[in-house]
Amino acid sequence: MIVAFYLLALIAVLGAGLAITLRNVVHAVFSVLLFFSALAGLFLLLLAEFIAAVQVLVYIGSVGILMLFAIMLTTNVVGDPNRPVQSRGWVWGGLAVVALLAGVLLPIISRTGGQSPTPLSDFNPSVKQLGLVLMDPYFASLGVIALLLTAGLIGAVVAATGASEADQAKTVPENRPRFPNN
Amino acid sequence: MNNYFDLKLVELGRWIEAFFAHYPTLKLVVHLLLCTLPLALSFMGAFAFTTWLERKGLARIQNRPGPNRVGLFGLLQPIADGIKMLLKEDIVPERSDKLFHFLAPIMLMIPAMIGVGFLPLGDGLHALPLDSAIIFFFAISSLNTIAVFMAGWSSRNKYSLLGGMRAVAQMISYEIPLVLSAVAVIMMAGSLNAQEVVASQQISSWVGSGNILQEFFGRILGWNVFKPWGFAGFIFFFIAALAEANRSPFDLPEADSEIIAGHLTEYSGFKYAILFMGEYISAFAIAGIGVTLFLGGWNGPVFAGLPWFVLKLFSLFAVMIWIRGTLPRLRVDQLMGYAWKFLFPLAILNIFLAGFYHFLERQWGTAIAMLAGWLFGFGALQLAAIALSRLNQSPTIRSKRVYQLVE
Repeated sequence: MIVAFYLLALIAVLGAGLAITLRNVVHAVFSVLLFFSALAGLFLLLLAEFIAAVQVLVYIGSVGILMLFAIMLTTNVVGDPNRPVQSRGWVWGGLAVVALLAGVLLPIISRTGGQSPTPLSDFNPSVKQLGLVLMDPYFASLGVIALLLTAGLIGAVVAATGASEADQAKTVPENRPRFPNN
Repeated sequence: MNNYFDLKLVELGRWIEAFFAHYPTLKLVVHLLLCTLPLALSFMGAFAFTTWLERKGLARIQNRPGPNRVGLFGLLQPIADGIKMLLKEDIVPERSDKLFHFLAPIMLMIPAMIGVGFLPLGDGLHALPLDSAIIFFFAISSLNTIAVFMAGWSSRNKYSLLGGMRAVAQMISYEIPLVLSAVAVIMMAGSLNAQEVVASQQISSWVGSGNILQEFFGRILGWNVFKPWGFAGFIFFFIAALAEANRSPFDLPEADSEIIAGHLTEYSGFKYAILFMGEYISAFAIAGIGVTLFLGGWNGPVFAGLPWFVLKLFSLFAVMIWIRGTLPRLRVDQLMGYAWKFLFPLAILNIFLAGFYHFLERQWGTAIAMLAGWLFGFGALQLAAIALSRLNQSPTIRSKRVYQLVE
C-alpha cells in the first residue's frame, strides 16, 4: 500500500513537472494525462472507487481529449525554439505555489500531529452510499445544476445551428458581384 | 449441475494457490497471475480465432472460400499471419514522433485488457470485482480514444491525422448513447456491480422453485433484452458499441477506400499486429459488457456460467462480422448527426420508459407492465424516431442551383 502510494505520488509529481517544462505541447498534454491517471490511482488507493472512475471518465476521457482536439491540427507544436520554456518570473510563481501549499497543508499536519488518523469503523465507500449522501440533502441544488447544464446544451445547439437562409440572404446582396477578379 | 464449470475453475485456482500457502508474498504473486494470465491468454487466443472467423465469414458472404491452405479449413491461418507479422520489418517514418509512435500500440492494449478484466465471465470468475465495475469499464474504455489519437498524430501523415481526427470525434460522440443505454440497466438493477447486474437478470421466484420448466425458463426470460426497455436499449447499445469499437459500418477512422488505413497507415510489422489485436480485444470487451448488461451475462438454462458467456460473446461477434459483410460504410457527415440527433435523444427517452416500466411493474405486476411496456413504450419510441427523422431531414433546395463561374 505504502509502496503503491509513493510510486503513484512520484508519477503524479513527474507528470505535473513534465507538463510545465516540456516544449512540445502534445507531449505536455500527455504528461497532464499521466498526472490525472496517477491521481485516479491515488483515489483508488483511498477506496474511493467512484471518484477514481469519474477522474478517468471526465478528466482523461473528456478534458484531456478536448485539449488534444484543440491542438491536434497545430502544425508547429514546438513553438519558437529561441524562447525559453519558463517565463522570466517563474521563481515568483513557484514561491506563490509553495506558500499556497504550505498554507493549506501545514494546519492539517499540525492538527493530526504527524500521526495517521484512526480508521473509521463504519466505513462504507460504496457508490450507493455516495448517492444517498449526495442526493438526499442536496437534491434541489443538483436539480438546479442539471437544469443549468441542459440550458447550456440547448444554447450550444442554438449557437451551432448558425444563421438561417433568410439571414444569409440579408447579409449578401443579390446583385453584388461575388468574383470581382474574373 | 448449474455453475459446474465455474465452481471447478475456482476450485482449481484455490488448489494451485494452496501450494504456496507458506509463502504469503509468493501466494499473492500467484494469485495475481491466476487472475490475469488466463484472461490475457484466452482473449488473445479468442482474437486469433476471431480473425479466422471473420475472414471465413466475410468470404462466405462474398461467395468465395476464404483461407483454406493452412491447416484444416485454414484454421492455422492466424498462426501463419502472426509469424509473418513478427518477421516483417518495423518501419518508423523519419519525421514521426518516435516515442508516441512506439507507445500507441501499448496504450491501446492497456485499456482493452483492463476492460476485459471487468467482465464477469462466470460465477466467481471475475478478475476485478469492483463495486462500481460498470462505470469503471466505461471510464477505461474511453482511453482507447487517446491511443488512436496517439497513433494518428505521431505518424506525421495526413491520412493518419485524418483518421485520428475522425476516431476522436466518433468515439467521443458515440460514448454518450452507449453509456445512456447502459444507464437504464443500471437503474433497473439498482447496482453498478457487474455480478449484481447479472444476478438481477434471473426471475428469482422461478429459479429457486424446484420446477424443472421454471428453473429452465427463469434463467432465460429474465434477460434484460426480453424486456421492452432492455430490447430498445440493447439496439442503441449495439449500434453505439459498433462505433466505439470502430467496427463496420462505423469504420470511418480506418476507411481504406477514403484514407488508406487512417491511424494504422504508418504502422507495420509487430506494432500493426498489436494495434489490430488491441482493437479486437476492445471490441470483445464492449461486446462482453453488452452481454453482461442485456443478454443475461453468464445466465443460461443448463450449465450456467463460463460456457454461456463465451457462447453469447461469440454470437454477438458473429453478428458484428455479419454486419460488416452486409452494410456499407456511413458517410462522414452522416456519422456525427446520427449519434447526436438520433441515438442520443432516443437513449434518453428509453431511460424515461425504463422508469415508467419500473413503476408499472410495482403497481400492477409484470404481465401488465410487459404489455403496456411493449405497446406504449414502443409506440413512444417509434413516434420519437419518426419525429426525429423528420426534424433531421436535410433542407430541400427549392430554387434552381446557379453556377456562378459557368454563366
